[in-house]
Amino acid sequence: MLLRRFYLALILVLCLPAITPSYAPAQDAAGLVKAELLAEPASIAPGEPFTVGIKLSMREHWHTYWRNPGDSGEPTQVTWKLPKGFVAGEFEWPAPSLIRVGPVASFGYEGDAILLARITPPRDVRSGTTVSLAADIAYIVCEKICIPGEASVSLSLPVSERSASAPTNAIFDAARSKLPQPSPWKATFSTEAKAITVSLRAQGDAIREAQFFPYDNTLIDNAAQQVLRTDGQTTQISIERSQIAKTIPQRINGVLVLQEDVGGTIASHAFAIEATPSAGSAAGEGGMTLLYAVVSALIAGVILNLMPCVFPVLSIKILHLTEHRAETPRRVRLHGMAYALGVLACFTVLAGVLHGLRAAGAEIGWGFQLQSPLMVASLAFILFALGLSLSGILTIGTSLTRVGGSRLLQQGGLSGSFSAGVLATVVATPCTAPFMGASIGFALTQPFVVGLAVFLALGLGLALPFLILAFVPGLQRLLPRPGRWMETLKQFLAFPLYATVAWLIWVLSFQVGATGLLAALAALVLIAFGAWAYHVSQGQSHVLGRAFQGVAVGSVIGAIALAIVIGQSNPTGPKAEVSSNAGSDAFSDQKLNALLASGEHVFVNMTAAWCITCLVNERTTLSTGAVREAFASKRITYLKGDWTNRNPEITRLLEKFGRSGVPLYVLYRANAEPVLLPQILTQSLVLQALEKI
Amino acid sequence: MNRRAFTTMFATSAAVLLVAVGPSHAEMKPGAPAPAFSAVNSEGKTVNLNDYRGKTIVLEWTNDGCPYVRKHYGSGNMQALQKKWTDQGIVWLSVISSPPGEQGFADGTRANSLTADRKATPTAVLLDPQQQVAKAYGATVTPHMYIIKPDGTLAYAGGIDDKPSTRTDDIKGAKNFVDEALVELKTGKPVSNPATRAYGCAVKYSS
Repeated sequence: MLLRRFYLALILVLCLPAITPSYAPAQDAAGLVKAELLAEPASIAPGEPFTVGIKLSMREHWHTYWRNPGDSGEPTQVTWKLPKGFVAGEFEWPAPSLIRVGPVASFGYEGDAILLARITPPRDVRSGTTVSLAADIAYIVCEKICIPGEASVSLSLPVSERSASAPTNAIFDAARSKLPQPSPWKATFSTEAKAITVSLRAQGDAIREAQFFPYDNTLIDNAAQQVLRTDGQTTQISIERSQIAKTIPQRINGVLVLQEDVGGTIASHAFAIEATPSAGSAAGEGGMTLLYAVVSALIAGVILNLMPCVFPVLSIKILHLTEHRAETPRRVRLHGMAYALGVLACFTVLAGVLHGLRAAGAEIGWGFQLQSPLMVASLAFILFALGLSLSGILTIGTSLTRVGGSRLLQQGGLSGSFSAGVLATVVATPCTAPFMGASIGFALTQPFVVGLAVFLALGLGLALPFLILAFVPGLQRLLPRPGRWMETLKQFLAFPLYATVAWLIWVLSFQVGATGLLAALAALVLIAFGAWAYHVSQGQSHVLGRAFQGVAVGSVIGAIALAIVIGQSNPTGPKAEVSSNAGSDAFSDQKLNALLASGEHVFVNMTAAWCITCLVNERTTLSTGAVREAFASKRITYLKGDWTNRNPEITRLLEKFGRSGVPLYVLYRANAEPVLLPQILTQSLVLQALEKI
Repeated sequence: MNRRAFTTMFATSAAVLLVAVGPSHAEMKPGAPAPAFSAVNSEGKTVNLNDYRGKTIVLEWTNDGCPYVRKHYGSGNMQALQKKWTDQGIVWLSVISSPPGEQGFADGTRANSLTADRKATPTAVLLDPQQQVAKAYGATVTPHMYIIKPDGTLAYAGGIDDKPSTRTDDIKGAKNFVDEALVELKTGKPVSNPATRAYGCAVKYSS
């Protein structure tokens, strides 16, 4: 009966707008939106930044707007009125909801929304006083109809020597949990005629829904259904492009809201995304034409000659040409062609390898050569050896230094010129990545033959200066006479190579960590030692010479072994971060039982690489300083089980707690029943649970 | 087939299906032919788009209760634009797409009194309570503005200006895209901003 009356009232309320004349004066917005200004700490301290929130509470069914309002409405605007010297930072907006009214889609907030901002007081604000913070808020609140509203909010805070930071403020804790998290995955986008596809390197098997909210309000068709595609490795969202977008930007920024199925319940997560053009998508509007790609590759190839890794090689080759002026013009032309052939052959191989790997399913683009620590280390070693040979430590000899390069560059035969071309290409590879992206990105998405054309254009560009020199006798005459200066120049040219080595080692340091770095530096020492030993061996008696040669060979073998060690060390990328085990032990039944038997407190976290909820909980809660400190001070052992690949022990524990999947968080207290924590954690929730110990 | 592969396949096909049945968006790119329509005007006469073939036409979606519409009528901005261009022989059609009971709904009598009260000078006010014209043009907000060239192709679609707000003060200093496009069309220049972001209150679609 009561229920029926309620429905009657509801129908009446819903129909009221239909009954009242629609030209009635606008409703009062203040009755629809309650605005408040909240501060996280109870008091503030001079110079210490603190967080405040503008809380908007909307009446049921009404909404205000996000920073990009979508099809209708406009963002809520806040104008601060702060005491002198106080500085407010940018607002952080909670993740929006998609609000559909017919075919119109808006981005905004229903219910409550808290916008957070950091405020920094000046150093000279006096403790013992009270400061007043105020703000004017202008908003549009809409249901079916829209009403503009304004509100003035204020707050008084005492100033003390040290800020009274509440241990955790539940309201702010909750507000932070609604902010988009930094994306743990690299995001890329590609553009087609009518759609933009945003791709994340996230295993999205459990994602049921995804909605991307761009900051740019002219980028997408706001109302169009976004299409989610997932496979084992990537999560893709295809979004219809807006008809009013003029150009596609270089970066797409926005918030991605994912709904993940965690064992039957749905968890919602928001990530701040900055997507860059994918290797397969030509940057900018539309597709790149073949002609454009070829021409820009050719130009880039020519520029490559000036790169610190290539320039010395080219210079030596040219010096060599001046030494052999006696050669017939025909012979010089042949040298030029052999050099170009070497370059082109090397690029053909590179193009083939890249296409082959991509065809085999590897997600690589240009610059892949710098993603492998083995490759980076090898390049560094080769360039270092080449540098040593220019410095004069590795100049003589017959067989070994052929690898080192100097001899290669001085060889009179055409094979010498061919090898110089190959070497120029090899040493050029670390320098190509930065500015070859667009053309090579295009090349990789094309059929092999088209792609090869782009690669060959790049090679031709690289070979061009030498080719021109070889074919235009007039230019050769411009070269200075050979003399002692050549040796000095040669020695000087070693330094650009050393600089490149330094850069490569720096790149390596991001990939392999301290131990790998030590191995790389040790290998450089070994190479230098080997070079010196070889150099010494030349002037020695037969036996001693052999001994030194042996030392040299041993050093080189040592360097190769170290390179292999480096190649196998774990790259520390975002992937490694995902499964970070810092501060935790790996879970096993045996370990848990042993700990419980000895009366320890244990916190168990069951996670998986493909579980986004797990990842978010770890980032926002479990790996925060406050929670780690609480674990330490309460002497709680933190066990982490990885269910990425099914594990029967973990499955059994999940079943014990009535779960069919991760995440699972259990707090085992000594001599008490275990406490099951919810699947979505907040810092205050975990800290409260830990308090009970 | 393992479970994960099945779920993925299911999700994909469901998503594809959703797109297939999702709202279809009229291709409203400037340069495309303007969708034909016929609608009853506030005088009770049926108006056909083809009646105006050979003339430049402005379509203005309106809802007198919407604060964004009020901004442009309260300040006299919309009326001034109507006067300036209808005086030069341009056809100005105000379209009311609110269904009965929703904000902005008007029958012929109310539409005429609104025009009189606001001293507006549209060529005609079209009544579109079932949103047929709105759907054909993909109108999302009030005011959503369109310009159709004499040859029947769309020259402009978007907002009235570049200051998406309800504040009357913002009109001064805003770039009026409609005025800009009409000036350019008149002088035979290409329209420099043929598509812009429309801003305002959502059109009150009944479904």
